Amino acid sequence: MLQYLVKRLLFAVPTLLAVLTVVFFIARILPGDPAQVILGEQASAEAIQALRLRLGLERPLIQQYAGFMAGALTGDWGSSMVTGRPVLGEVLNVIPYTIELTAASVILGAIIGIPLGVWSALHRNRLIDYVTRIGSLLGLSFPAFVMAIMLLLVFAIQLSWFPVISSGGSGSLGVRLQHLALPAINLGIIMAAYITRVTRSSMLEVLGEDYIRTAHAKGVPALAVVWRHSLRNALIPVVTVVGLYLGILIGNSVLTEIVFNRPGLGKLIVGALTQRDYTMLQGLMVVYTFVIVVVNLLTDLTYGMIDPRVKYQ
Amino acid sequence: MVEPAVLSVDGLTTEFRIAGKWHAAVRDIGFELARNETLALVGESGCGKSITALSIMGLIPKAAGRVAKGRILFEGRNLPELADDEMRKIRGDRIAMIFQEPMTSLNPVLTIGFQVAEVLRYHRDLGPGEARAQALDILDQVKIPSARDRLDDYPHQFSGGMRQRVMIAMALACQPRVLLADEPTTALDVTIQAQVLVLLAELKQRYGMSMIFISHNLGVVATIADRVAVMYAGEIVEIAPVGELFDRPTHPYTEALLRSIPRVDRTSDALVAIPGQVPPISRMPQGCRYAPRCGLKQPICERAGPPLEPVPGSGATHRARCWVRAGGTGAAA
Repeated sequence: MLQYLVKRLLFAVPTLLAVLTVVFFIARILPGDPAQVILGEQASAEAIQALRLRLGLERPLIQQYAGFMAGALTGDWGSSMVTGRPVLGEVLNVIPYTIELTAASVILGAIIGIPLGVWSALHRNRLIDYVTRIGSLLGLSFPAFVMAIMLLLVFAIQLSWFPVISSGGSGSLGVRLQHLALPAINLGIIMAAYITRVTRSSMLEVLGEDYIRTAHAKGVPALAVVWRHSLRNALIPVVTVVGLYLGILIGNSVLTEIVFNRPGLGKLIVGALTQRDYTMLQGLMVVYTFVIVVVNLLTDLTYGMIDPRVKYQ
Repeated sequence: MVEPAVLSVDGLTTEFRIAGKWHAAVRDIGFELARNETLALVGESGCGKSITALSIMGLIPKAAGRVAKGRILFEGRNLPELADDEMRKIRGDRIAMIFQEPMTSLNPVLTIGFQVAEVLRYHRDLGPGEARAQALDILDQVKIPSARDRLDDYPHQFSGGMRQRVMIAMALACQPRVLLADEPTTALDVTIQAQVLVLLAELKQRYGMSMIFISHNLGVVATIADRVAVMYAGEIVEIAPVGELFDRPTHPYTEALLRSIPRVDRTSDALVAIPGQVPPISRMPQGCRYAPRCGLKQPICERAGPPLEPVPGSGATHRARCWVRAGGTGAAA
């Protein structure tokens, strides 16, 4: 088990290196010049040249690349080209907000989605099933930012239950949760829609299995057949989807963070892109890659908890 | 039969809905099962053997199927009339069933100890510890080697034969009066098959159980059954004590079935097949269901389905559904 973990994390190293390389070169190919963006349209050619020199952008590309890789590996991710603050510090500042939001929406999605999917499967092709399926389809097809704006209009502006600007909140847990609520509901609904659909189809498959017939033949009560005999078998595809979807969720959180004006990785990366902040962009990509690697690993470990047939080696 | 039957099925018809219309998958099934008796249901795939067993268990999927007619009397009650929860209390306790596929019939994420103990917990109200102790005892009885160490193992850690023993242990945990064994050995290789058959016969004797043994393997049936009911296209076409059936097959289908058993002591390597095909459920012939494939076909056979009637020259225990060879009317027609 421990051996498996170490092996998996070691495998992540080449992935990270490859991503870093790709990001480095893509950033350089992007049209636009950080020095130009920082100094503005009116800046003189000399000033831009001076700044480019200071930012190290005049060195040969290969030298820049070597310097960047060496830095990345030793934990020195450089400073933001725009603000001058260390990249690592900036990232660490906002990462709790993103983790908080992602975790809350996954939990919300599971709490809503799993029972709804089971319920829908048990009432296959009946009214309840159709309503659930249409509902989840709506949840999937609604763009995150549209739903976010609707949530804001109703719950923050009309009803004033939640703050309009979810700055993340600070201090007491209550305030933090209040700031978290709308963005988490926004992403949680999308998550729930996915989970409902996967749970439903997976449950339908499991309910047709021979061992479910065996459970009925043993006289196991219907509720126990559903929760003990079926659900655990049905959860593997659900875990896969949650794992895969976490990646998408982080993408969706960009829009959510912007609409709710909430700090987080998403907002940071959009800022870095528009300002051609190469160093910040690179640092964020490392973080994203690392998150995906960790999520995949956690997904694989969860399989083992659900299914005794899964072995790690 | 002096003793009243343990289970008696009368006029059982189970239907399935196909494209909005109800079609009978089994029709007018009737038999009595005596204490300690093994009745074999034989016939080719799709003839309704399993549907008959599932009807008795009350496990016909409600969405598309129903027991439309007939009675299934057990311990003074008519099973199709029982409420879901009453039927659930009978299943696994008074009537148990084992299935054909040991590889897929056990839950892959639950330990076998749990799966066996579960039956006792629901039907005997035992606590977890006591149920586990009894589960161990029953696993010993079905001869799982070093069962104590294997209680917490999962089904995938067992071979097919061992899994079928676990299935048997689950079915017998509450000492049911009737065991429905649906092709319990079909998926096993031949040596394991023999072991499981011996085990079933032994346990049946020990518990004084009656058994309905479903099979398409006539060799297996000959060794384990007391009586045999041959099914064709959803009907029992012949029922007789096992020796009588093999000595005097009366229904032309039974005859053809016995002829088609390959024999190692004959040099001919051509297999004798029954010409034609079983009619599909939605296009059953008007008269005798076997008539289109039958060599003895008379005009009456295509007009009306024959009843299950005593075979002339043998006791009332041997009955066949044939105008030509059974009942009094056949000779006249």
